[in-house]
Amino acid sequence: MSTATTAVGRRSGEDFRPGSKRQHEVTRLMPGPMLAIILTLLCALVLIPVAYIFLASVNSDIGVARGEFLPSTFSFENYTKIWTSVGLATGLANSVLVAGSTAVVSALMSIATAYVLVRYQFRGRLTILRGLLALQSVPGTLMVLPVFVLFSSAASYLGIQVIGTQWGLFVTYLTFAMPFSTWVMVTYLRGLPRELEEAARIDGASNLGVLVRIILPLSWPGVVVSGIFAFLLGWNDVLFASVMTRPESQTAAVALQVFGASQEGGAIPFYGQMMAASLVCAAPVVILYLIFQRYLVGGLTAGGVK
Amino acid sequence: MSTDSLTAGKASRRKSSHAAKPGPQSPENAPRRRKGLSERNRPLWMLIPGGLLMVIIIVVPLLLGIFMSGLDLDQYSLRKWVSAPFIGVQNFVEALTASPLLHAIWLSVSYSLLAMVVTIPLGIAGAVATQNAFKGRAVIRSIFLIPYVLPSFVVATVWRTMFQPGSVIDSALHSVGIDPGLWLNGPQSFWTLILVQIWASWPFVYLLALSGLQSVDHEVHEASALDGALWWNKLRYVVFPYLKGPLALAFLIGMLHHINNFTLPFVLFGVPAPSDVELLPILTYVTSFQSFRFGLSAAMAFISLILIAIPLFVYLRAVKLDDSETPGGKK
Repeated sequence: MSTATTAVGRRSGEDFRPGSKRQHEVTRLMPGPMLAIILTLLCALVLIPVAYIFLASVNSDIGVARGEFLPSTFSFENYTKIWTSVGLATGLANSVLVAGSTAVVSALMSIATAYVLVRYQFRGRLTILRGLLALQSVPGTLMVLPVFVLFSSAASYLGIQVIGTQWGLFVTYLTFAMPFSTWVMVTYLRGLPRELEEAARIDGASNLGVLVRIILPLSWPGVVVSGIFAFLLGWNDVLFASVMTRPESQTAAVALQVFGASQEGGAIPFYGQMMAASLVCAAPVVILYLIFQRYLVGGLTAGGVK
Repeated sequence: MSTDSLTAGKASRRKSSHAAKPGPQSPENAPRRRKGLSERNRPLWMLIPGGLLMVIIIVVPLLLGIFMSGLDLDQYSLRKWVSAPFIGVQNFVEALTASPLLHAIWLSVSYSLLAMVVTIPLGIAGAVATQNAFKGRAVIRSIFLIPYVLPSFVVATVWRTMFQPGSVIDSALHSVGIDPGLWLNGPQSFWTLILVQIWASWPFVYLLALSGLQSVDHEVHEASALDGALWWNKLRYVVFPYLKGPLALAFLIGMLHHINNFTLPFVLFGVPAPSDVELLPILTYVTSFQSFRFGLSAAMAFISLILIAIPLFVYLRAVKLDDSETPGGKK
């Protein structure tokens, strides 16, 4: 399986000397018109629903229900309503809090774990590496009930109330983010030269010193990637959040899902608000992705799991 | 899959680590000559925080779940689950004979496969079309990844709105004279789910296919240009063989991801879901948190773990765990 290494290692050699016309002709894979058709179709496939989110969010609910693509009326008032009607203000605050702290802690923990796994030989190392990959694929629906029972047992036997608080979500997301984040860091740290660490050791640095002063500054792109993936895990989760939160600790994902489900069977649902809230929930993710795109794409193919 | 990236020297080292697997981590595997930094003073304690967390929140619940699958557990006995009556394999028997589990497995597997069958050509087409530099390629590459980065709950909410009776998709189809019927209920909902899943996950195949295309050496392009290969033949016989590995990986991971996907069907159809989209994760969830048959649900979850284990096992065999650079040894 070479994608992990190629994705990280080859990023620099991605473009074949742009500007040289001959090189371009040689590496060409398809006639021009064909390319144009494929690109147009795929862009339309992606952009029409994306454009619809925005267009419907400024449309009236009746307009959306009638099936208008371009709105007949135009107003931004949905964007002011959603903060209370959908509960997006609390939802977003909780999401930022939980997903953000998950991202920071998971990035720091995964760099320490990955450092040991990459640089040292010890019993069980390959088993741990394999376990990291396997744990990424453990279905959430398998875990949600036992984790719930574990947390409620913590409440009844130890007196620690976890269910319904942001702590429960934080610990859960942190744990489920760790395998992937660590794997991303493992692939990243492999590409770092050892010489700097060795120099630091000769100067008397401790293990922790090497990690904090040498590895961490050198590997911040990897840290950012593993942090962002941890953030996305918390931000995108509906399963655990729907079971383990109360209305006041709800994340944005659950707030939107509950709002959407509660629109069934009444008069005309608040489509405009649903779309506006969708856009607001998607915006941070898309912005993060656009900023860190170069690093994220390598990380995506490295670990290979969403 | 790993063989193509291995040089001869690495291959022999791989073999030795493979051979050492049955009796894992045998001491001769460790580099004996260099008992330098990596033998003394190993900061293994750094593994403890992450390891502890994973043991408490993943391994313990996993075992707990297996234990619970043998209990007769409902909303009354859940609080005192330790003293719930043990009923052995009865939950498994009920799951396999008297519940929609087998139907759910069939739905999950067929939906995952059908979605993969369409996403793979789409992903390849996207990768081939953006492989060569042109003006605006960076923008198009970013656009292609939008469905993938959008959160699943957003994707599902949006498509749910678009698929409402009389909403934008219906009115578009009406204008060309098609009456599509209900999208979110009835037999057609299965195809709705596949459509949305395809929309959301083809960029992942695209990414992996792109990384495969980038591994085609420039000399290969030159050789086929010298031979005057037509574009279709070049794609078919020269370029596609490079994609086999990445696409096999995309297939495995895509299958795992589709089978495990809870958010998309949950938000798209709500619970209780129409029986045509009562997928494995949805069924497990509903059995727990709607019907409160916790033991039965744990048994279902356990069965789905076995189902997941098949592609997962293939994936773990294929993945290259170790880099060429063995820890402790310097090149």
